[in-house]
Parts: sequence; C-alpha cells; structure tokens
Amino acid sequence: MNLVLRRVAAMAPALIGVVVCIFVLTRVLPGDPARTLAGDQADPSVVAKIRTDMGLDQPLHVQLVRYFSDLLHGDLGFAWHTGHSVTSDFASRLPATIELALVALLIALLAGIPLGVISATRRDRPVDHAGRVFSLLGASMPLFWLGLMVIVVFYNQLGWAPAPLGRVAEGVNPPTHLTGLYVLDSLLTGDLVALRSSLSHIIWPALCLATGSTAIIARMTRSAMLEVIGQDYVRTAVSKGLKPSVVTLKHALRNAAPVIVTVSGLQFGQLMGGAVITETVFTWPGIGSYVVQSVLATDYAPVQAFTLLAAVVYLAANLVVDLVNARLDPRIADA
Amino acid sequence: MKRTVLAIAAAAALAVSGCAANANSNGGGKEDAGDTLVAAYSEGGKTLDPAEANDVTSDTFVVAAYDQLVTYGRTEVDGKPKAKTDEIVPMLAESWQASADITSYTFKLRAGAKFQNGSPVTADAVVKSFAHIKASSSASFLYKMAGIAKVTKVDEHTVKIDLTAPNHLFLQILPMYSFSIIDMDTVAKNGGAKWLATNTAGSGPYSITKWDPATEASMTRNDGYWGDKPKLRQVSVKFIAEASNRVQLLRKGEVGLALEVPPKDVQSLKSADGVVIDSRASNKILFFAMNNNIKPFDDPRVRQAVSYAIPYEKLLNDVMKGEASPMKSAVASSTPGFSDAGYTYKHDLDKARALLAEAGLSKGFSFDFTLGSGFDDWNDDAVLIQAELAKIGVTMNIKKMARPQFLEALETKKVQSYITRWTSFVNDPGYHLGLLLTSQGSSNYANFSDPVVDKAWQQAATEPDVAKRNKLYGEAQQSINTKSPWAYLYEYNIVVAHRAGIDGYTSYPDGIVRFVQLSGTTK
Repeated sequence: MNLVLRRVAAMAPALIGVVVCIFVLTRVLPGDPARTLAGDQADPSVVAKIRTDMGLDQPLHVQLVRYFSDLLHGDLGFAWHTGHSVTSDFASRLPATIELALVALLIALLAGIPLGVISATRRDRPVDHAGRVFSLLGASMPLFWLGLMVIVVFYNQLGWAPAPLGRVAEGVNPPTHLTGLYVLDSLLTGDLVALRSSLSHIIWPALCLATGSTAIIARMTRSAMLEVIGQDYVRTAVSKGLKPSVVTLKHALRNAAPVIVTVSGLQFGQLMGGAVITETVFTWPGIGSYVVQSVLATDYAPVQAFTLLAAVVYLAANLVVDLVNARLDPRIADA
Repeated sequence: MKRTVLAIAAAAALAVSGCAANANSNGGGKEDAGDTLVAAYSEGGKTLDPAEANDVTSDTFVVAAYDQLVTYGRTEVDGKPKAKTDEIVPMLAESWQASADITSYTFKLRAGAKFQNGSPVTADAVVKSFAHIKASSSASFLYKMAGIAKVTKVDEHTVKIDLTAPNHLFLQILPMYSFSIIDMDTVAKNGGAKWLATNTAGSGPYSITKWDPATEASMTRNDGYWGDKPKLRQVSVKFIAEASNRVQLLRKGEVGLALEVPPKDVQSLKSADGVVIDSRASNKILFFAMNNNIKPFDDPRVRQAVSYAIPYEKLLNDVMKGEASPMKSAVASSTPGFSDAGYTYKHDLDKARALLAEAGLSKGFSFDFTLGSGFDDWNDDAVLIQAELAKIGVTMNIKKMARPQFLEALETKKVQSYITRWTSFVNDPGYHLGLLLTSQGSSNYANFSDPVVDKAWQQAATEPDVAKRNKLYGEAQQSINTKSPWAYLYEYNIVVAHRAGIDGYTSYPDGIVRFVQLSGTTK
C-alpha cells in the first residue's frame, strides 16, 4: 500500500510538467484558433470578438493560471469546434476508446503470448520463422492502410464486416448505459441483440489496432522465453523428467512474465494512441477521432485535455505494471 | 477456485439480465424504411446557433430547423432544380414593400406560421432575432453589410426595417441562414443565447432531435409546419471523416446521400448501380493570387505572364477529372452580373515569355508560393503550375503550411502568392468584389487596388436598377480581368452523390442540401 501511495504522489510533478509543456507548445505554434473558427470569409472584427470570447487576448501567464485553476475545479475547458465542454465531450467518447483499446489488448495478449512461447520452444523451425515474418509485418504495417484494406476487403468485397459506422448497427439500440462499454453493458443486461451487434462492430477495428501490439508482445515473449529456457533451473526441471509443457508454462513462462507484463503495460498506452488513427478510419466515435478534429481546428482545450489524459494513462499503466511485477517477483517490491 | 468465481459471475449476470429490461428487449429499434434517409457528411458541425454557424454541416441543420423572412426562388436548368438567387420570394414574410427612397422595407408576416413549440411567429420575435444577429460574432458583419439601421415592430404581424442607405444587397442577404427567425422568448427562458449553440427554437420543417458532432444527428419532420409538408419523415446524418468510407457506404446503399466525394471517386461511382451523381457548376472558385505590393507582381505584365503560363486543361482534366469548369472572370460565371470582358488568357508560353521580356524579366525570376494544407487538388495544381513556370525560367518555391497558419499568414497581407478557394454565399458581384478585390476589402489579401474597380463598386452599391448595376460590375470585372491580380484556375462543381429514387435536390450557391425539398426512398 505504501508503495502505491508513494508512486501516486510521485506522479504529480510529471503531470504538472506535461500540462505546462503542452500549454506553452500549443500557444507557441502558429495558427490562430479564432481565425480558424471564424471561417475564411469573416471580417477581422469578427475574429477579434471571438478571440476575446476565448480569452486569447489575455497574456500567456494569465491564461496558464486560469487554466490551472479551472483544472483544479475539474473543468477541462470548452471545445469551441463542437460547442460543448471538453468534459462532456470526453464523457461521451472515452468509453468507446477504452473499450476498443481493451479489446485490442486482449487480442494482442491472447495471440501474442502463445505465439512468442511457440516460437521460443521451436526455435529456428518453420513456425519460428513464420512468427518472425508476422512480427516484422505487424510492427511495420501502417495502421491507416491496414484499416482501409480491412474495410475494402471484409466489408466491401466479402461482406463479412458490418458497415464502418459507429459501435452498433443502424436500428439497434445501444445497450442500457451502465459503464459505457457496450460489450460489457450488453452482457450485464443480457441484451443479446446489442451484444452481437457491438461485438461484430468492435472486432474489426480492434483486430487492426492489435496487429502492431501482437507483433511486439510476441517478439518480447519469444526473447524473454529464450533467455529463461537457457537457465540452469529449466535444465534441472527437464532433467528431473518433468513434462515439457509443465516446464515451459510453469517454470519458464512464470519467470519470463515480468518482461511480458512490462511490455503489455506500455502497449496499452500505445493502443490508446493508435486509436487516433483506427477511430478515424473506422468512424469509431471515440476520443481519437475527436482529437484529430480538435487539432485540425486548432482547438486548444481538447488537445490539452487529451495530452493530460494520455499522461495519466501511461503513468497508471506503469504503476499497474510495477505492482503486478512486484507480486510476480518480490525482489522488485523491495528494490 | 478460478472456475467457481467465473461461474458465480456468470450466474449473477444471468440473474440480473433475467429480470431487467434491456434496450433491445422489444426486438430492437427497427423502423420502417420508406420515408427516411441516411446522409453521410464529413464532419459534425460546430453550433446550431443560426447567427454563429459557418460550416456546411452546421448550416444544414440551421436551414432545416429555421425559416427566414424571405428566401431564394427556384428554377430549372437542364431539367434539374436550381436556386434562382436574384429572385427573392416569400417565406415567413408573405409580402413586403420598400419605401419610395428604398431606405426602408415593411414586411407583413404570415399569419399561420408557428414555432415548433406552438407559439406564433410574431413581429417581436423578428425584432429580437435581428438583435441577436447584430450581437453575434459571425453574422454581425453581414448585418452591417446589409446596411440595417433599425428594426421596429409596427404591429403584431408587421416589421419595419430601416437601412442606412439604399442597398441592393439587403434583400440578397436576408434569405441567408444567418438571418433565421428565432423564438427568442424560449431562448430567454432557457438562459440566453448560449443555449442556442446546442438547441433549436425555430419554425422550420425539421426539428433536430439528436446532435452528437462525433457520430450522428437526427432530424424529425415538424408535422405542424406552416409550409409544404416535408416528404421525408426522418433524416439521419452520419459524420464520416474518411471519404473512401462515404463512397463505399453509398455504393452499398447503406447511406442514401453523400457529400464531398473526391473527383477520382466520382468517375467510378458514375458506373455504379443505383447511384446518381449530381455534379453541377457552382460559384465556388479557385484562384492563384499574386501580391500586388510585392515585386515583381506589382507589374501587371508579370501577373499576365503567369496567367498565360497556367496549364488550364491539365488542371481541369488531370486534377479535377472534369469535375470543374473554366473560370473566366473574378466573378463566378453562375453569379448574376458575371462578365468575362477583358479575359484573354489561355495556355500560351510564348506569350508569357514575351510579356516577361517586356517587363524586363527575360531571364525569369524566383518567387515564394504558400500552399495551405487540407485540399488535395491545391497540392496537385501547385506542382503542375510550378512545372510550367519552370519552362519560362520562373522558379516557384512552394512553402507548405497547415491550414490554420495559412489563414493567419494571409491576414498579414504579406504572402507573395498563394491559391485559395472562395464561395460567395450571397451570390452577387457586390458582395464578392467588395470583400475580395476592392481596396477596402477585408479579404483582399493580395492588395489589389484599382480606382476603376473601387468607383464602379461604390456606385453600384446604391444603384437600384439591375441593368445599370450590372454594367458597373461589368466595368469592374473588365478592369480586374485585364490587370490580372489573380490567375483564374477553375470553378468547382458541387458534387452530391445519392441513391437512385431520391428526387428534388436543388443546388444552392451555399452548397447546402435542403432536406425539406427531397423526396423518395433509398434504393
């Protein structure tokens, strides 16, 4: 418990640093949000009026102080390009992104770990080579291209995937709101119609999003396993006559686990970022496509809020990784 | 151990679901198709406030939810409905009368018109709506441009609008969505103008029942509408950023109508089953502006030389794939009062070389060109123009810029050359030239200043006779065409792709689809 508290307290300076950096960066970059918001035919007086409304006529330090005071009151600012507060925009979009990232992580773990284990135990055999080719392809595939290909092939040509339009099909109601995660909500309310529809909608973007992470998790699992397999205690276990599967899963994998957990944690952060592209391609109504639009509109508040959120997610993922690793290997907790 | 936990969780989930009703327990929300339409737009819009809206999606919802005092007439060109912008017809005002000196107009309001909440459209609402427009950020400059001095209530159903001076733009501007009549009492009850950003209080044919800029919006027919009953009962608008997705969804019939179809997809969609491409000339123009204050573009001969070096055919055919038409004046050819007098340019490199020699630049020169991001065709155009200019010894240095920075850079009026597009929502040379090419024009970023143009424009502004006015605008255009502050690239077509069976789409200069005019079913 002490460890958790210490770690959470240590996050504060990092977060303040992130907020100040992104605040200054967005303001230093050229491009006037009032100008963009006003549209190209607007009169200069119109632009000036919008600038005053947005508080952009104030000196930078005044704006920064105001931003921090708003943050402390739980106010993330106003998204000019949607006409809503950032908080309400986030509330309606965040669950979609979290659900997408979680499903993608699940796919990456379910596919990546076995793939890595198999590659390691059958080193330099065809399976290993195939795994390596997949890892290379998966890690280097541009996400937007992969997404467009999936839509063209599986939606347009084969008709297996549903229309890339939102989280459930047209005519299906979203499940009763409990957590905002459609798959979980429809399970909890026993809504089979919504469950089927939301699963069929999430699986394609999640598969695309998971490709890169699957490849990296498989790679890291493989090398961690190879290192462990060479150790004395594994040889001892084998010579004791234990079954190969027991040796691999119980002795080797358990000891390779900290590396895999660390990679997976980092990958979750990556997935939230990759969602920006996947969501745009699949018209997924999450935070990613929202931030893309905010950037295009030079809308500061949502971009700042997203950066802050990303920092929190990374720090939280790191914390969880450390805690899990401490459980797996008590030496880490003492260090 | 693990298995028991799972089993308990599953049992609990089943227990909960057994008794609780869920969102789809009545078999889902399937509705009858037929009088419904799904449309695909590229983005979700910014506001529903008529006086603040200035993007296609926002404007579309405003036009659906609100009425104006007057509106544009309609006509048919080649069997397809099109707005007739120089004909102003009744909407909420059933008649109007101008004073003898045309400095005031008296509007008689339609008696039966009601706002969507049932309260009648009154003179008070009109007066308050105009006050809201005057106080707005976006539309206040239109209010000024219309020359409105005072709006007063004469009686319950009569409003008098006084102008600062005779102004033919007044009736032209009035039909714009910015001048929507709002139920301001409802607005006041809900806490003021801010409420209008996400809610509507109009008398229009549709009510906006759902609007989430991230995903979709729904419009439902206003059954108490005072005018012709809209044929479509329900319109849902999906916001799909990726152009290729919009195209595929249309192709598969998942959406009935799609906007912003890229030129390369237009060709393939034309041969697709059940898809109709409505591609029509618009007054949206693209031009290559040269800053008249920066050497060597301060010499008209240099600007003319550039105009002779533009590969017009390549731009139209290779870049726009035929979805654009030649531009032959600073004013679009579909704008009433258009004149191509003085326009002599075609792709002719010898002529360009001769003009450069005359200007003392026979060895050519080098200049900076600023390319704003966001539009694929601009990029292709710039590269083609660069290649042609190289043939006459002119080096064009392309400097790329993100759109927000680009708009900001233009405002400094110090950009040496750039291309940009422009749509005059008020389809009138007075509005168009006034903003873009008069010395005082707020969007005259190329610093073109010509006494002939300024004088003609000022005289035309107060000239009530259409023929005399157009003669003045013709003189202005001739002077601009000769002095060539811009090289004219092309006039865009507005492309609306829809499924066969949808009728009534009418093309307006603002490019906004009026769903109230559509009928039919998606097939």
